[in-house]
Amino acid sequence: MSSPAVQLRNRVPRIAEAAVERARLSVVPRARNRAARVPFVTLVSLILVGGIVGLLLFNTSMQQAAFAATALEQQASDLAAREQTLQMELEELRDPQRVATQAQQMGMVVPPAPTFLSLDGEVRGMKVPATPEDGLRISPPPVPKPKVLDPAPTIVKVTAEPTPVTKDAQAGKKKGKKAQHTAEHKQRNARQKQR
Amino acid sequence: MSRTPGRGAPQLRLRLGFIVIAMVLSFFGARLVQLQGIDPNSYAAMAAAEGVEEVVLPAERGDILDRNGVALADSVHGKMVIADPLMTAENAPEIAQFLAQRLGIDYFTALERLRGRKEGSRFEYVARRVPSTLANDAVDELEELGFEGIILRDDPVRDYPAGDVAANLMGFLGTDEALGGFERTFDRQLAGKDGMARYQVGAGNRIPLGENTVVPARDGTPLQTTLDRDLQWFTQKVVAQTVQSYGARSGAAVVLDTRTGETLALADYPTYDANEPLEADEDDLGSRALSEPYEPGSVQKVLTVAALIDAGKVTPRTRIKVPPSLDRQDRSIGDWFDHGNLRLTLTGVIAKSSNIGTVLAADAFSQLELVDYLRKFGLGQRTDVGVRGESAGILTPGESMTSQTKDRVAFGQSLSVNAMQMAAAVNTIANRGVHVTPSLVQGSATTDEGVTVGTDTAVETRVVSEQAARQVARMMERVVDENVGVAPRAQVPGYLVAGKTGTAQRVSEKCGCYDGSTTVSFGGFAPADDPRFTVYVVVHAPTKDGGGGSIAGPAFSRIMGYTLSRYGVPPTGGKPSRLPVTW
Repeated sequence: MSSPAVQLRNRVPRIAEAAVERARLSVVPRARNRAARVPFVTLVSLILVGGIVGLLLFNTSMQQAAFAATALEQQASDLAAREQTLQMELEELRDPQRVATQAQQMGMVVPPAPTFLSLDGEVRGMKVPATPEDGLRISPPPVPKPKVLDPAPTIVKVTAEPTPVTKDAQAGKKKGKKAQHTAEHKQRNARQKQR
Repeated sequence: MSRTPGRGAPQLRLRLGFIVIAMVLSFFGARLVQLQGIDPNSYAAMAAAEGVEEVVLPAERGDILDRNGVALADSVHGKMVIADPLMTAENAPEIAQFLAQRLGIDYFTALERLRGRKEGSRFEYVARRVPSTLANDAVDELEELGFEGIILRDDPVRDYPAGDVAANLMGFLGTDEALGGFERTFDRQLAGKDGMARYQVGAGNRIPLGENTVVPARDGTPLQTTLDRDLQWFTQKVVAQTVQSYGARSGAAVVLDTRTGETLALADYPTYDANEPLEADEDDLGSRALSEPYEPGSVQKVLTVAALIDAGKVTPRTRIKVPPSLDRQDRSIGDWFDHGNLRLTLTGVIAKSSNIGTVLAADAFSQLELVDYLRKFGLGQRTDVGVRGESAGILTPGESMTSQTKDRVAFGQSLSVNAMQMAAAVNTIANRGVHVTPSLVQGSATTDEGVTVGTDTAVETRVVSEQAARQVARMMERVVDENVGVAPRAQVPGYLVAGKTGTAQRVSEKCGCYDGSTTVSFGGFAPADDPRFTVYVVVHAPTKDGGGGSIAGPAFSRIMGYTLSRYGVPPTGGKPSRLPVTW
């Protein structure tokens, strides 16, 4: 116990004895967290609910947009189809056949040759009147009727004996020489035959 | 708390519980094996198909346009009307009546379809190619009336607004494919490629974040032709009127732009309404102008004479003694009119259309020389304008041609041509001796045979010198001269017109021999001193008396007069040709 080291060692605890005594660990009583729990829960719930509602709304709006898109697409294709149909009608109105038919009904004729007027009053080309002969046949000829509907005309030759005939019969005779198809004239012919 | 001893034993309850759970789980396991082990793909496919809609996006077919962009054939949104007989059979008469009125379809056919042609049928076409708006409106109204079972699907409509205008060239579409003409030849270009859309559907609407793939449709490319719709219409009417009034078998006319070789009109008669191709005779569906070769007759003399002048063998004033008939090796050659010994210049030979005179002049040529020139004029080779079934005509090669054949070829017999070839040949004279290959398509297009056609591929070849061409044009003016020519009715008042008549013996298809019928034609151009248009008219087998001058001449005059006025070409005011015809 005479060594200085030992003395030192013995001395230190003596000095720090009180502090060591104080610094000895002991269980701290649990600190009670008194922070309010309600706002946090509310916040989290709000975020959660807000998220869900937001998602729902977003989804709904997307769905709504999809409805609108489908409806608009439908409308667009309907309108495109209508436009095309109108275009088709327009083209039909522009059909040269139709235009020509109308022009012809108004008495117009395609001239055989054009003439040109220049600004200084000079006329180039030969002025040829358009005549009905220049008219163009623009509709196809009538389809020939089958024989049943278009029988050969009955031609009756009448000798030129001066028999007293009525005016009516005379008219019938003249017509009878030409090709006549109607039943009325056939009847007349029949009458003449009887005579 | 008293417990019955059996139920209360926890051991036993636990065991029973395990057994029940094991049984349930084994059922699940078995089902799992059934679903995943045996044919899992079909279930996957079923799941995928549920709610996934696959729609074909039809490509719009390209229009066929005339030179001014006016549609000769266009495509319109259309629908096919389909019935489910299971649902429609009950009310078939009412629905049929409604559809017959609204869509203009046959009532009885519709009735049959609505009732189902087979027992248990669930899919019947009621109408096809109905314009979309019409079909939609009709079906909406039907639904309002309470009838169900009619649905619509896409089915594009091909419309030919001008009916028979250029029908022989355009061809037509069948139910699902192109059946003729340009529609078929250029189908690859016109058809485009259908697209496809795949998306998930809920209650008829697309599900926003669902599967969604779209392959857009590639629309067809329009085909622009060189035709002029109004001129084409007029030309067709003139040809129709001519053929009808002369009781002919058929006729054709070609209008060419002299400088470019563009075909402004190519008319055929008989023709048909492209909207109703089935109502027409099958033989009338193509273009006879190109598919039926014929012997051109005297129009050919123009080519012979042009070649002779170019070769320096003759001049327009060359004097020729024309005997009443010319005896050659195998037979004697005569003229169309009886005459004694005539003293005609070469111009007179053309103006009077003398076979004998032409043969005598052509004696200066060997077979090889003549055929060589005619080939350069484009005879014997297809014009390749893009029309199906074009005939090349027949031109005997010079090496194997006898001198008798050469004599006949000189005035247009014993060789055959199509109308387009002949028009292009006459156009060579109009175009100062340069042959331009004719074209029907603006720009270029590739046919189904892989040939590129169109104005871009037009080839110019000099055939005769400019001087020779001008001289021949001057000679051709005398053909329409009132006093010396054979075709005064081909004159266009106020203009200088050059032309040539043709009346040829025609080979009958039945016997393959000359049957006495004729082919009459007229080819010419105007204004003669500055040609702008070449018109060629040909009429086959007229039953009334007449020749090229009296039948085809007036038709030529009308078409030429209209073309000149339509394109605003004023008369040149040049002096008419005064070349002597006799000496």
